[in-house]
Amino acid sequence: MVLTDLQPGKRATITNISMMSDILKQRLIDMGVHEGEEVCVKCTMPFGGPVMVEVAGQCICLRRKEAACIGVE
Amino acid sequence: MSQIALFGNPNTGKTSLFNNLTGSYEYVGNWSGVTVEKKVGILRSRDAYVVDLPGVYSLHPLSRDEGVATDFLLTESFSTVLNIVDASQLKRNLHLTIQLLEFGKPLVMALNMIDVAERRGMKIHINQLSARFGVPVVPVIARTGKGMDELTEKLRSVEQTKPFTLTYDDVIETAIAKISSYLPDDIERSKRWLALQCLEGNERVYEYLRAKIALEPILAIRKQTEESIRQLPHGRSLRERLHHLRETFIEAVLEDVVTWTEKRPLTWTEKIDAIVTNKYLGMPIFLFFMYVMFMLTFDWLGSPLADLLDQFFSGPLTDTLSRLLTAMGASGFLQELVLNGIVSGVGGVLVFVPQIFILFFFISLLEDSGYMARVAMVMDRLMEAIGLNGKSFIPMIIGFGCNVPGVMAARTIEQPRERLLTILLLPLMSCSARLPVYALFVGAFFKAHQASVVFSLYVLGIVVALLLAKLFSSTILKNEHSMFVIELPPYRMPQALTLWRSTWDKGKGFVRKAGTFIFGGSVAIWLLSYAGPKGLHVSMDDSFLATIGGVLAPILAPLGFGTWQAGAALLTGFLAKEVVVSTMNIIYHVKDTDTLQGLMAHYFTPLSAFSFMAFVLLYVPCLATVATIRKETGSTKWTFFAIGYALAIAYIISFLIYEGGKWLGLS
Ligand SMILES: Nc1nc2c(ncn2[C@@H]2O[C@H](COP(=O)(O)OP(=O)(O)O)[C@@H](O)[C@H]2O)c(=O)[nH]1
Ligand SMILES: [Mg+2]
Repeated sequence: MVLTDLQPGKRATITNISMMSDILKQRLIDMGVHEGEEVCVKCTMPFGGPVMVEVAGQCICLRRKEAACIGVE
Repeated sequence: MSQIALFGNPNTGKTSLFNNLTGSYEYVGNWSGVTVEKKVGILRSRDAYVVDLPGVYSLHPLSRDEGVATDFLLTESFSTVLNIVDASQLKRNLHLTIQLLEFGKPLVMALNMIDVAERRGMKIHINQLSARFGVPVVPVIARTGKGMDELTEKLRSVEQTKPFTLTYDDVIETAIAKISSYLPDDIERSKRWLALQCLEGNERVYEYLRAKIALEPILAIRKQTEESIRQLPHGRSLRERLHHLRETFIEAVLEDVVTWTEKRPLTWTEKIDAIVTNKYLGMPIFLFFMYVMFMLTFDWLGSPLADLLDQFFSGPLTDTLSRLLTAMGASGFLQELVLNGIVSGVGGVLVFVPQIFILFFFISLLEDSGYMARVAMVMDRLMEAIGLNGKSFIPMIIGFGCNVPGVMAARTIEQPRERLLTILLLPLMSCSARLPVYALFVGAFFKAHQASVVFSLYVLGIVVALLLAKLFSSTILKNEHSMFVIELPPYRMPQALTLWRSTWDKGKGFVRKAGTFIFGGSVAIWLLSYAGPKGLHVSMDDSFLATIGGVLAPILAPLGFGTWQAGAALLTGFLAKEVVVSTMNIIYHVKDTDTLQGLMAHYFTPLSAFSFMAFVLLYVPCLATVATIRKETGSTKWTFFAIGYALAIAYIISFLIYEGGKWLGLS
C-alpha cells in the first residue's frame, strides 16, 4: 500500500521510501519522514493537488505523485 | 571581537532570538525560509557579534539559502555556536545538533518554544539533556525574551565543551578513519566532521576539500562504504543509514529526557486548517482574504486617509513653506524649486503612505500567522500546471509589497530552474510603488470603481505572469524535475509588536525612498522642466524634459498616450515607479492631487489611462529590482532578458487594451 491509498484521518507506518528521487528523499528524511515513523493523511487538495500529512507531530505538504512513492502499512 | 553563530532548523525562532540578543530588528515570520542570507548584530553586552543564518535541517544543503549556513561553517572564523532547538520538535532538531557538535566548536543550546512544548504536554529535563550532550542548555522563549540573561551569561562563559563523539557502526567508523587519515594535518576543520560530511555527500564540503587535495580517494571510499551498507539486511543508502544511527541515539536520549504528561495535539491549528485548507474552500478563502485586503487598502480605509494627507500637503504645508521662503527672502528660482519641484514631487508620493502601510500590514499578518505556507499548498496545483511549484507563490505575495525582497525570497526554491523562472516573473507582481500611479489615475478616471479597477491590474499582473511562466517553462526553461515539499508550521497568534515592526520595517523603505531617490529625482526632473535649449525659465513645452519625452511620444502613440509628458514620466519611472507620479505632479504644475486629476482629463481618456496603468505595471522592473535580479541570478544575460521581455509584453498588452478598447467603442 502507498501513502495516497490511505484514508484521510487513518494512521499507518512508513515502510519504504526508497522509490523517491534522491533530493526529495533527503528533504523528507530531514523533515522526519523515514521508515518506521507513523503518518496520517490530513487532507488532499482537489484536481490531483498536493496532500498534507502529519508525521512526528508536524504537518508536511507534498505532491500526490510523490506521496505515491511512499510505501505504508 | 568574537563571533557567535546561530544555527537551527527553519522556523524555530532564530531570528526572534537574534533580535532579543542584539536588540535589533530583523525580519521574523512563521514559515520556513524567512531569513535567506546572514545577518550580523552585536550582543547587548557589546562584547561579541551574533550572526543570524538561514534555517537548515542538516548541514548538507539542498537550496541556495541553506548553502549560506554550510559555507559559513567552512569559511568564517567564529568562536561559539548557538544552536537553537525547537523544544516541541526535539527529535528532528537534534540531528542538526549532533552534526554541529561533531564540528567541534563550543556550543550552547537554546531550547526555544518551551511554551509550545508544555502546551503539547511535554516535560523536558534540562539537566539531563545538558549532561547527555555535554553542553550548556538554556530554556528560552524567544518571542517574549524569557531566558535571555541566562543565555547571554552562558554564551560568554562557555569554553571548549568536551568533545562529543557519536559512534556510528563499524563500516562507517572504518570509513571515517580512512578519510581522516587521508586528510592533510594542517586542515582547519575537524577531521571527523569533514569525513562524516563527505560520507553524507555534502557538495559544499567537496568543494572546500577540492581546493586542497585530490578528491577521488574520498569519493572511492564513499562509494565502497555505500556498497557495504547496501548489503546490510535493511538495504538502506549510506545517507539514510547515518540518519538512522543518529535517530537511534536521539530516541534513546529522549527516553530519559522527555516525559509526556499527556499527548495533546495543537487543537487550534487543526481547527483552522480544517477550514482554510479545506478541499473546496481553500482557494475561495484565500481569494476572499486578498479581496478584503484590497478593499481596505484602496477603498474602506486607505483612500480617506490618503485624502486627508493630500489636503494637508497642498494646504497648510505648502502655505507655511511658501510664507517661510518669502520671509527668508528666497529667490524666485528657489521658491519654485521647493514648491513646484520638491513638494509636488515628494509630497505627491508621500500622500500614499497610509495605503502602503495598510498593504504592508496585511502582508506581515500573512507572514507571521503561519498562513503563508498554506497558501503555497493551496496554490501548488495551479503552479504545477504552469511549470512552477507552490513555493514560488510565497515570493510573489511578498513581491506585492516590494519586488526586491520577493526576488530574494526565491532562494528557498530547491530547483534552480524554478527559482530562476520565479525571479524572472516576479517584477510582474504589482508592488506597492506602483500603487501611487494607480491611485492617481483611478481617482481621475474611475471614481466610481476605484478598487475594482486596481484589482483588475493586480489580476492582470498575475495572469500575465502565469501565462509567461507556462510559455517559458515549456520553451527556454524546461524543468528537469519539479518538486514541492513544504513544512506547515503551527498557527501562531501574531504579536502586535512583531506585526508593527515588520510593517514599519517594510514601510520605512518606502519613506526612505521618498527622501532619497524621489527627492533627487524630483529636483532633477524639475530642473529639466525649468531649463530648455533656449535657456532657463522656459515654458514647459520647450524644456529639455519635453525634448526627451518627445522622442518617445511617437512610439507610445499606438498605446494611447503619445504625449511627451507620458514619455518623460515613464522614462523617469525606471528609477522607482513612484517617480512616475512625481514627474506628473511636476509637469502639470499642480499642488494637489485633485487639480492634477482634473487636468489629466485633457491628456488621457479613461481607456488610455487604463492602458497607461497597464504599461506602468508591466514595463520594466525598477532599478533596485534589476540590481537584485542581477545579484541573485548572477547572470547579465538573464537580467537583460527580464528587462527585455517585460518591455515587449507591456507594449503588446497596452496595445491590445487600447486598440481593442477603441474597436469595442470605448474611449
Ligand atoms: N510560541 C512561541 N513562538 C515563538 C517562539 N520563538 C519564536 N516564535 C515564533 O516562531 C516563528 C518563527 O520565528 P523566526 O524568528 O522567524 O524563526 P526563524 O525562521 O528560525 O528565524 C515566529 O512566528 C515567532 O513569532 C517561542 O518561544 N514561543
Ligand atoms: Mg529567520
